[in-house]
Amino acid sequence: MIMFELDQRIAEQLSTISLNSSVQVRCGNSNAFMVTASTMLPLMQMFEMGGVYITASRGAVEIIQAFESIGVDVSNIQFIDLVSSGILGGTDVEYSNIHFVDSPIMLESVLLRTLYILRTTSSARNFVFIDSVNALAIYNEDRMLAEYLHTFINTFRQREVLSIILNVPDQTPPLVLSNLDLYCTDLVDRGQVVIH
Amino acid sequence: MQAASTYSRDRCVTGIHGLDEILRGGIPYGSTVLASGTCGSGKTTLAMEFLVRGALAGEACAHFTATEPSVKLLENIRQYAFFDMNMVDTGLINVFDMDVLYSWLGLDKSTFDLDDVHALIKSITDIVNTIGVTRLVIDSVTTLCYKIKSEQLIRDFLFTLGKKLATLGCTTILISEITSATENAHWSSFGVEEAIADGIVVMGDVERMGHLLRFLQVVKMRGTSHSRAKHAIELTPLGVMLTPMLKWGSQNETAHWGA
Repeated sequence: MIMFELDQRIAEQLSTISLNSSVQVRCGNSNAFMVTASTMLPLMQMFEMGGVYITASRGAVEIIQAFESIGVDVSNIQFIDLVSSGILGGTDVEYSNIHFVDSPIMLESVLLRTLYILRTTSSARNFVFIDSVNALAIYNEDRMLAEYLHTFINTFRQREVLSIILNVPDQTPPLVLSNLDLYCTDLVDRGQVVIH
Repeated sequence: MQAASTYSRDRCVTGIHGLDEILRGGIPYGSTVLASGTCGSGKTTLAMEFLVRGALAGEACAHFTATEPSVKLLENIRQYAFFDMNMVDTGLINVFDMDVLYSWLGLDKSTFDLDDVHALIKSITDIVNTIGVTRLVIDSVTTLCYKIKSEQLIRDFLFTLGKKLATLGCTTILISEITSATENAHWSSFGVEEAIADGIVVMGDVERMGHLLRFLQVVKMRGTSHSRAKHAIELTPLGVMLTPMLKWGSQNETAHWGA
């Protein structure tokens, strides 16, 4: 198991928010997984939440294995993988908690699949985690992505499902970023990474 | 000043996630609704869920299938968690093969005349009346109407059938197969179905950068206000789910022509 230092201030910040919050989490290229893990762990372990992890950045298997490598069991989390269907044989996986959507451009399908999973989950308190806006921006036009995030955030806020939106600010279109600033209730800013 | 009272028709609550919201509460009771769509757009699943939700509420339902044998239809629908074969076994959902019905009526011919059409209407309404069916699906009215050569006779058939079913308090979905669900397309194969029907629900695909997205749009529904926006749909094990389509998505979309 890899030793891993979490950012405890993220857990402290998350302890102050409510279920109908929407949190913009900014990270840099080099600290993305540390920020992701520092956000996910308190949700799963401290607050005992279930949830849906939507990945457009890497295949879900890779993310699950990254969590496993630091000793974190994510078998209670459902993953929606937008990457692997585009890779030949990418959907042939052994994890039953991975759901595949054909492409990151099928944004409505992602929303509906998330809602479907939340209807089937036994957890009373849930989160949805988008990893990441900058990865979605590779495939989707700025205005459509901004519209989608607006819909997404409001859909889950209305259902009292915590939404966590991960992005690398300097790789996210300005229009989308300004919309996130406007619609998210909270900001975890780890986007400025100081490299010693 | 006293607020003006507004009349609202009783609704057949479809129970389909999102559809009742689009229809502001459901389909007005006794309506005949044309569910028009291209192949693979989810018409049969939507219609079957409509029956299942009715059966779950204790309503008697009937499905007349002309496009595939009932055995095959039930096998295909069993993959959905919302469907329970007990509903068929206990008589809440009654599935009829049109081919069998034609044989009973002695209609083993390629085209139907006026007498044949009236015999068919009587047969369907007798079944509805006898079982007390309140939700009915005919899948598809297109296949059935291929046997009726005159446009006037098709009009007469659909109008009379719709009127009799409404009198019996039966809300009906007529499935219509179309080859395109674009703006310029007809919502039915023969052109007359869409004028007779109380409601039209169009289902199809839009292609967005090489991927097909299913959509549903309520074009017309007499007796209720409703959304006319395009909604994306997913066929999940729990049933059909809908969400409004992204407005900016249409910039990257092209209409998909079905088979």
